[in-house]
Amino acid sequence: MNTREILLQIGQVLTVLLLAPLLQGIIHQFEERVQRGQGPGIFQPYRDLWKLFHKQIVVPETASWLFWVPPIVAFTCMLTVPILIPVLTDFPLPLSDMGDILGGGLILTLGSFLIILAGLDTSSAYGGIGSSRAVMVSILAEPTLILVFVGITLLAKAMIPFVVNHLLVASWPAYFSPAHLFLVAAFFILLLVETDRMPIHSSTHIEVYMIEEGRILEYSGPLLALLKWASAMKQFILYAIFCNVLVLPWALSLKGTAIGALGAAAGLIVKFTLVGCVVVFVETAQSRLRFYRYQEPLAASFLLAILAIIGTQIF
Amino acid sequence: MLIQHLSPLASSLFSLEAIATLLLSFVMLGSRWLKNYLYAFAAESWIIAMLSATAAFFGGYPELYGIAALTFFFRGIVLPLLLWRIIRRLEVDREIHAVLQPSSSIVVGALFVVFALAVAFRVAERLNVELPITVLALTVMLSMTLIGFLILSVRHEAMSQVLGLLVLENGIQIGTQILVPGMPLLLELVILFDLLVVVACFGVLVRYLEIHAGTTSILALKRLVG
Repeated sequence: MNTREILLQIGQVLTVLLLAPLLQGIIHQFEERVQRGQGPGIFQPYRDLWKLFHKQIVVPETASWLFWVPPIVAFTCMLTVPILIPVLTDFPLPLSDMGDILGGGLILTLGSFLIILAGLDTSSAYGGIGSSRAVMVSILAEPTLILVFVGITLLAKAMIPFVVNHLLVASWPAYFSPAHLFLVAAFFILLLVETDRMPIHSSTHIEVYMIEEGRILEYSGPLLALLKWASAMKQFILYAIFCNVLVLPWALSLKGTAIGALGAAAGLIVKFTLVGCVVVFVETAQSRLRFYRYQEPLAASFLLAILAIIGTQIF
Repeated sequence: MLIQHLSPLASSLFSLEAIATLLLSFVMLGSRWLKNYLYAFAAESWIIAMLSATAAFFGGYPELYGIAALTFFFRGIVLPLLLWRIIRRLEVDREIHAVLQPSSSIVVGALFVVFALAVAFRVAERLNVELPITVLALTVMLSMTLIGFLILSVRHEAMSQVLGLLVLENGIQIGTQILVPGMPLLLELVILFDLLVVVACFGVLVRYLEIHAGTTSILALKRLVG
């Protein structure tokens, strides 16, 4: 464990911390442009966070101590996960052996679990609805996520994301095997689900069918800023797993030099912009569904994960 | 047997086509609109025709080119056109009384695929051909047959019934194309004309249902009419 690797690991966390609002801004800007709007510019999330950090905190009278915990825990969780996954380098850095893919998923879920508790804590109607909807969706999303992880494990014979990355870079047959393509498709649907872009969501965020916004409606000021930042970071982490582990495993720093790391960060922006384009396209092209058809995309994802596992059994 | 000495490229092409067919039958299972069933069925037939042509090219069976052309023409164009005419005349756009919602039926279908895989492993072991492509072909064949039965049992529109039958038959066809590509041309022809007869019969049945029962749901057939 030398200094440069430690610096790189810190760099990975900082990349996620600092670039996450940019990704959010790019996606929002694309969305607005696709809908023929002007868009607020790609740096709007930074301005939002700055504004929220300078506001005062208003706490509901019904809130208990639990109200204060989730923003901090969610933010910390999102700072922990980048240590485990390849963000800038394609080789494991110090402490990245703390957990495998499943461990990363566990930490991500811990963050959302506490936000669900926060939604219930203030006993406001919207928080309760938001939390119950979030649980309803995640009950179906979690088994599929685990199946995708099982598929990845069977494909690469390992649960370490770095191994999967190396396998896909090294062999084209593995990249184009049906198992891998199905995993990509299944994970793409999960990506849409986890970043609140299912076809049951509308493009405005605060409305009757809100899920994510409903849970954090009672928060204000810096606490809200932390939650928003954490959700942007969660999106960034999921994009990083999707790109660097599954779809575009190239353009990572191989040796860990400063130039390489900077190049990898620039590559990340390009890759995420591409994926963001696809996400915005799918979200715009897909007609909005009735709320109670939320299980259909998840069933499709489940099916694709099963087919991927079967693909790994056959090849 | 052809499948025992395939090049890696041919093998991957076969598996890609087989899996695409399986995926399209899931599209049929998961859609609510009759037109979407029909498009998925037509696309599935085209892929099967491509698969026959692939088998002809790599296996050196010239008569399979003929079968590919026939499959493309009859299954891919004539049958969907006939069905499309029936659908257009019926003014029934979608399945209304499904026993199982599309999402649940997709999950059941996925379980069928797992079951088919287990069976395929056993069968391949018994036949002493444990090549990946054999197992895949058997899995696709069995699971498409099961999906066809699933569509037959959970959908009530008469159109869904005929499409379920056709999926079932497509599954058998794709299995034979990969496993025994040298199947006599005459048999294939007989099967194709059988399918035409099936669709024609269903056309008559649908007209009958519409005139006498006022609906195109086969549930109306349960009642005894003196």
